[in-house]
Amino acid sequence: MPLVEMKGVSKRFGKVVASSGIDLRIEDGEYVTILGPSGCGKTTLIRMIAGILEPSEGKVLIGGRDMDGVPIEERDIGYVFQNIALFPHLNMLENVSYGPIVKDVSEEERVSVPRRYLELVNLLDRMSMFPSALSGGEQQKVALARALASGARLLLLDEPLSALDARVRMDLRYELRRITKDLGLTVLHVTHDQEEAMTVSDRIVLMRNGRIMESGSPEQMYRAPKELFTANFIGETNLLDGVVVVSGDDRTLVEVRDGSVVEAQPSGFEPGDAVVLSVRPERVHALNEGLKAVVRSMSFMGTYIRVTAEADSEDILEFDIPVPRGGDFNVGDNIHLGWSMGSALVYQRPPGGIAEAVKLE
Amino acid sequence: MGSGDRLLEFISRRGFRKGWTVFNIAFFLLFIILPTVFILSYAVTDWSKIQNYVLNDPATMDLIIGAVVVSFEIAAIVTVIDFIAGLPVAWMMARKEFRGKQFLDTLIDMPLAVPTAALGFSAAIFWAATPNPPPFSLAVISSPMLLIILLHVVFSYPYMVRSLTAILGGIDETYETAGRTLGASRLTAVRTITLPLFRAGLVTGAILCFARSLSETGGTIIALATLYGRKMVEGDFQTGPTLIGLWKDASVSDPSLLPALAFVSILLIVLALVLLLVLKVVIMKVRLPLRKVWPTPEKLLSRGLFPKFKDSSAVLFLAAIVLVPSFFIFTYVFTGTPAQADWGLFIDALVTSFAVASVVTVVDLVTGIPLALYIVKNRSGRLAQLLDVLVNVPLIVPTAALGFSLGLFWSTLDSGAAVPILLIILAHIAFTYPLVVRNVVGAVEGVDPAFEETARTLGARPLQSFRRVLLPMIKGSILAGAIMAFTRSLGETGATLAVVANANTAPVYIVNLVNSQSYYLAAMACIILIIISYMFMLLLRRFTREEVV
Repeated sequence: MPLVEMKGVSKRFGKVVASSGIDLRIEDGEYVTILGPSGCGKTTLIRMIAGILEPSEGKVLIGGRDMDGVPIEERDIGYVFQNIALFPHLNMLENVSYGPIVKDVSEEERVSVPRRYLELVNLLDRMSMFPSALSGGEQQKVALARALASGARLLLLDEPLSALDARVRMDLRYELRRITKDLGLTVLHVTHDQEEAMTVSDRIVLMRNGRIMESGSPEQMYRAPKELFTANFIGETNLLDGVVVVSGDDRTLVEVRDGSVVEAQPSGFEPGDAVVLSVRPERVHALNEGLKAVVRSMSFMGTYIRVTAEADSEDILEFDIPVPRGGDFNVGDNIHLGWSMGSALVYQRPPGGIAEAVKLE
Repeated sequence: MGSGDRLLEFISRRGFRKGWTVFNIAFFLLFIILPTVFILSYAVTDWSKIQNYVLNDPATMDLIIGAVVVSFEIAAIVTVIDFIAGLPVAWMMARKEFRGKQFLDTLIDMPLAVPTAALGFSAAIFWAATPNPPPFSLAVISSPMLLIILLHVVFSYPYMVRSLTAILGGIDETYETAGRTLGASRLTAVRTITLPLFRAGLVTGAILCFARSLSETGGTIIALATLYGRKMVEGDFQTGPTLIGLWKDASVSDPSLLPALAFVSILLIVLALVLLLVLKVVIMKVRLPLRKVWPTPEKLLSRGLFPKFKDSSAVLFLAAIVLVPSFFIFTYVFTGTPAQADWGLFIDALVTSFAVASVVTVVDLVTGIPLALYIVKNRSGRLAQLLDVLVNVPLIVPTAALGFSLGLFWSTLDSGAAVPILLIILAHIAFTYPLVVRNVVGAVEGVDPAFEETARTLGARPLQSFRRVLLPMIKGSILAGAIMAFTRSLGETGATLAVVANANTAPVYIVNLVNSQSYYLAAMACIILIIISYMFMLLLRRFTREEVV
């Protein structure tokens, strides 16, 4: 039985539709991220699970029980906020003890549980400090300990890392996953950072405009995105306009705008169909023949060089070459670009144009 | 270079700006703080008189101590009632969205539009058990103390709700939500998280209410006169301020009352300062019990009918205890017996009141805004911090005592020759000035200094960056402060009477009408004053709204 289930859930604020027709199942022990650009309705979604917001339509079930009318405090959830929200008038131990106290657990647990979780995040030695004396990363760890100490089986993380410095954010990602997996918790983690989603999740649910676009394991979402939006949002990709010339069981041949023909995975489109071809930068190589292009810029990125080239088809392609340089060309040189057939995916060309289909709002 | 440019050049000079700042600080200290606390010097210079006429006169002592104790009792009870009745309404305003919220918002401010003199009369004829109560009045209250408590609740209530709402709005609601996700019921979360966080707001609200009740003179005198059906005499129920009003009146013919008058004023000022300091410390230091939890009862109270009951009784309180008594006076016009009046005198009084209020507001703005800017921009400096504290002093000093102190101060400088209207203006500046400064300080603190800094990097002079960048952003608050000062001056009785016993301003005129039992005329005069004040309130709301849009 799934631990969390949403059935046909919609939420409207006046005329604004924040979520519409959400169907979602989260299995016990699963680590799921809700990924999407700002304003896509992902926070609204977990707020409805937490009971902070009531759905306009549809049902939210936790542990099989309909949550309609069940107040926040009776849903047994742990919630970690983007702005951390440690109570400023209480010290760390008091913050973490808050859940056990208000839940009126036994005297013994009231003392032992908060210490155990502060220990778990390695901050037991800070227990008598107040929030303002701790760094952002430490504060968020205490906030996690506080959520865990309330005895929740379901953890809702609302952009828990986005208020933190880049470096701290990286470290905490792994710690989040390690701790929650060790404790066997179910986690719903909201983020707009696709890299963060890739790192921590068992499964990614991608949202856009209040709807779920697609969901799957990080690898599936990266290697075989079903939607053009997904291909563009998760990782980086080059998108080329084209028309199918040959569609076979082994490959698809697409003619791009300058008339040259490139290869892609088999797709099921018919010759003549207008399509968009997606190929990731790390799959594009400078070859002896292929798509003709001019090098426009080269940027040193540390472990690789990012090259931007303009193809004769007027498409802009980005690709990487290893350091020390793998290619022998400079800005302004004419080169040829190509990729292996399996690296390119073909999507139906959206009627509103590519820009509209991958737009982030 | 045009003359305008040259003027700008001149006033942008460092020397001029420094001089201007020094002038404004000096103005504040000399014209506001010094006169306000000048009365304290009387204790030093004329201690022997106080000893002879007051300390050694048990009858006078009893009278003074009785009145002061009553004042403090009333202020304390009023503050508690305001808090209990005001908190649910503040909560609704800060945290809930509902139909009619705008309307409720307007209702809360309504009593501010009514001058306290009019308010005192209106509430008194509604509540007081007089021999001939007007139709529809309740006429159930015969205890003067109870009547004054009810009256003071009416005009201090908006202050409490406003300050609680402002602070509540500033507390991140996430804290409370966080508490609830950890398993606390709504009530538990509010008690253990939100309330401790908003102690500062509680202090502000409590101080404003307490001070307002402690210093109120005009409305109180009118209400008591209405209850007794005659002008008050010494043996009647007295609060500190009414005693000052009474003696100030009588001291014109009997100078031997001066020491007693000074002594009540000193007592009220000193006790108010001490008590408010204590109040601040107590509220900030006392910890609400976190360790104690009552999950089940608090859970029960958090749900079901109780919250609805609480909200609706709070709104009912606003309607029945605050609003109906405020505007009951309107019924008097329809049911009372019309009378002929010398409207010329009232129009004179009205003109005087408006002239005073206008001059006072302009002076407040011209000298108060620079001081507010100085306080905000030199936050870390000792002087700015001191000024920030001192600005509150006139707010917590009873206006009757303040007026007396001012009268004494100015007459000491220029015995006998002081122009009465000038004294009234100076007295009104003293207690309205803090309203402007407080509002402007609050607004400027909310503006990122980067805006003005950017303007400066783009080549704007300090004055230009103030006028073009900062001023538009704080316009609403300046107006709010200005109109608060204006209406406050328009409605003030106690301080006016204390500086000039025979002053003819509109509220004093009304007091005199009530004292001579010309109730119909008093009601008419009140209504005219209410309508004019209300028009100002509407202006205020319109301008502040514009700023939000």
